[in-house]
Amino acid sequence: MVALTGASDLSRRGFLQGGAGLAFFLGAGGLTAVKARAQAGVAFDVNPWLTISPDGAISIIFPATEMGQSSYSTLPQILAEELDADWDHVVIEQLNEDDRGFGNPLFGGVLYTAGSTAVQGYYEPMRRAGAQARDVLLQIAARELRVPKDSLRTEPSAVVARDGTRLSYGALAALGTEDVQIPEAETLSLKDPQDFRIIGQDVPRRDVPAKSTGKAVYAIDVEVENMAYATVLRAPVEGESPLSVADAEARAVEGVIDVAVLPDGVAVVAESLWSALGARNLLQVEWSEIAPARGFNSEVTLAAYADAARDPQAEAAVWAEKGDAPSAIANAEKTLSRLYLSDYAYHAQIEPMAAVASVDPDGLGAEVWAGTQTQSWTAQTVMETLGTTQDRVRINMMTMGGSFGRRTAFVQEYVRDAVLTSKAVGRPVKVIWTREDDVKNGTFRPAAAQHLEAGLTADGRLTGWHHKVATPTVIGFFNPGRWEAVRPNDVISMRGAESKFYGISDFRADHIITERHGRLAPYRGIGAAYTSFAAEAFMDELAEAAERDPLEFRLDLVEENPRGRYLLETVAEMSGWRDRGDRALGLSFAGYSSSMAAGVAEIEVDDRNGEILVTHFWAAIDAGRIISPDNAHNQIEGGIIFGMSSALTERIDIEEGQVVQGNFYDYEVLRADRVPPIDIHIAAVDAPPTGVGEVGTPMVSASIANAFYAARGRRLRHKPFTRERVRSAIGS
Amino acid sequence: MTQFTLNGRPVEVDNPPDELLLLVIRDKLGLKGTKYGCGAAMCGACTVHVDGYPEFSCQLAVADVEGSEVTTIEGLSEDGTHPLQRAWVEQQVPQCGYCQSGQIMRAAALLSENPTPSRAEIADYMSTNLCRCGTYNRIFKAVEQAAQEV
Repeated sequence: MVALTGASDLSRRGFLQGGAGLAFFLGAGGLTAVKARAQAGVAFDVNPWLTISPDGAISIIFPATEMGQSSYSTLPQILAEELDADWDHVVIEQLNEDDRGFGNPLFGGVLYTAGSTAVQGYYEPMRRAGAQARDVLLQIAARELRVPKDSLRTEPSAVVARDGTRLSYGALAALGTEDVQIPEAETLSLKDPQDFRIIGQDVPRRDVPAKSTGKAVYAIDVEVENMAYATVLRAPVEGESPLSVADAEARAVEGVIDVAVLPDGVAVVAESLWSALGARNLLQVEWSEIAPARGFNSEVTLAAYADAARDPQAEAAVWAEKGDAPSAIANAEKTLSRLYLSDYAYHAQIEPMAAVASVDPDGLGAEVWAGTQTQSWTAQTVMETLGTTQDRVRINMMTMGGSFGRRTAFVQEYVRDAVLTSKAVGRPVKVIWTREDDVKNGTFRPAAAQHLEAGLTADGRLTGWHHKVATPTVIGFFNPGRWEAVRPNDVISMRGAESKFYGISDFRADHIITERHGRLAPYRGIGAAYTSFAAEAFMDELAEAAERDPLEFRLDLVEENPRGRYLLETVAEMSGWRDRGDRALGLSFAGYSSSMAAGVAEIEVDDRNGEILVTHFWAAIDAGRIISPDNAHNQIEGGIIFGMSSALTERIDIEEGQVVQGNFYDYEVLRADRVPPIDIHIAAVDAPPTGVGEVGTPMVSASIANAFYAARGRRLRHKPFTRERVRSAIGS
Repeated sequence: MTQFTLNGRPVEVDNPPDELLLLVIRDKLGLKGTKYGCGAAMCGACTVHVDGYPEFSCQLAVADVEGSEVTTIEGLSEDGTHPLQRAWVEQQVPQCGYCQSGQIMRAAALLSENPTPSRAEIADYMSTNLCRCGTYNRIFKAVEQAAQEV
């Protein structure tokens, strides 16, 4: 039993008093410790993870943030399952502060929602918390009914005795906690998955009705009393600042309240967004011209990265190594090496960046409404901007209109700008970026050049694999403090290059950390979005050199990964791989983190315009235990479509430090008329959940490149496979 | 002053006549279901009906709808139970949800033009509207489901 100390006397007193309901807290012992106390009208000194009211309402904290992935529904489902709650009684509460007690264990307690880790990180802690709370309810019932606890069982939101007596959780919550103790989480047995009533069932998402009626409120929709609007003219090139501002014309626009000079831009604050946008067009700003970024040109950058990737002497940090890849390759019967390129890519979340801030009159506190992937860094941004302390910062984490990595940065400029402009005008201010603002000032998936080399034995098997990735550190840009702690290992830049689903005995992956020539951020699939493209396109080239079928060649490498083998065999069957005749199919086997994906793309090529049309896609996925199968299907399908879009059209160019593209007319995102039927099989496995948000994406590019080879006998080694590149590949 | 009908109610606004209808609907009239996505007629998040036809409200000045009937997602049904909205819930279409008001308004216009669209006709008609989360196939299914009820 855990002693009732910790946030201590107050908690203990509250716990023993009894009263209006039960509240369960995270203890100092970490995520697995829970304390309980009754609500006796005393304000809680810490946030309860879970409260049960006498009316039966069960309130569960949602510690992550919601950007479309549905953690908002799935995380509380995990706790509700072990609590044996009636899901209809569950109320979900967004965690709106940087309370590290609720942090994701996979991020060292930082409140950070990224990398498909929410379910993975919170699965065990939330199950145990639910089981502890259920045990407390059983103890109360045993006390009231004067029967042994182990003679009782639970049904959704009720304890049931052998004689059929039922006590609802709400009724039990009102009975006080005398003689009740919190069991240690480790002493409780968790449910047998066969008994799950919520996990693994198709429980509808909580947010779907509001999102189908226009009622969901995003940061861009927030309105507070006396609010003004701001738009920011940002420096044309990273690192520049305004030297002088001629704003008389802008100030003369009706409704303009103020023009505020920011470190890297000039903000117009007005009574309406329309006035602010109109006035912004009239600003005349002289910018500094000193930034090194003025020399950034993406074509030159990629060529330099390619030189680095090819250069055997280039300095590299080892990302993953097993055995002796160089020797194995040197001793191989046959060797092959290839270079793969990928351009910068933009997140293209449909909700533009927006935030509302209301700075306190003394300028040392603020309330902020924003959609971001992290309570921690949002609170940090506000604190740093105002030079204040955490107790003066109130944040409201709004559901996001997509993010895909866009809202992960340690310093969030749009939050900062809302705070600075609110402080300047002494009113609440909503800052909105236009689409062009977001593209021009985007933070991108980095450009990369990858050199792969491998050997083949006389009987056509792989021996030795050396994967070199020339790309900058992403972490070093979007979270420099973190980079100091982890360098030279950059999971954002390198994920996927470890090819961990294959058993390759002599293996090496290197990170050639190149100079950064653009703003960077995590991006759906992170490194795997390009490393798996190169690795799986290369795998097909090796199979061809070995005169083997791409499927059979890969099956050699999954002898010790039966779950992976199952996916490859399954997707082969789904797609009719072995009887494909002259259908243009391409295979790929990748994944994300510990979630695996095998995919087959079927394509058609229009030789005249160079357009690739994906006509069908099949995928077999293993993501461990699935919490919400219907949502998992939706996430995986969305990830595949994201991957197709990224493979076919999405490309950011930078010239003299400025982003060339500006909106969806020159940054093309896949549209409905290019979406094929997608068949997805999700493996039923008894293993911990490993995440579904990104697993669909990394396999897609190579499957299309490999299908293109089947269609036209030419290799596509530069992503995206734009119409020009396709035409050039087929010589038309 | 511009006068028009919004979701069946007459409204009168004193915004500048060239102000975007999108901003007037959202910020002056307070209906936030219509979204700003691109401002360039490229994403469809701002789709509303003007006299029954789908329009990008980011491409219209408020003066353009003088005397017209404008319908937003809030006016599609009184209680959110339009067959498309029910189908959206049954098919669990939305992920982030940001584009879905526009998708539903676009789909409603499709069904009033063509009550029994084929899958290819749905895909073609809906290709004005982006969904970055990639819910397109669910949108197709939901439109097909609603088409059977309308």
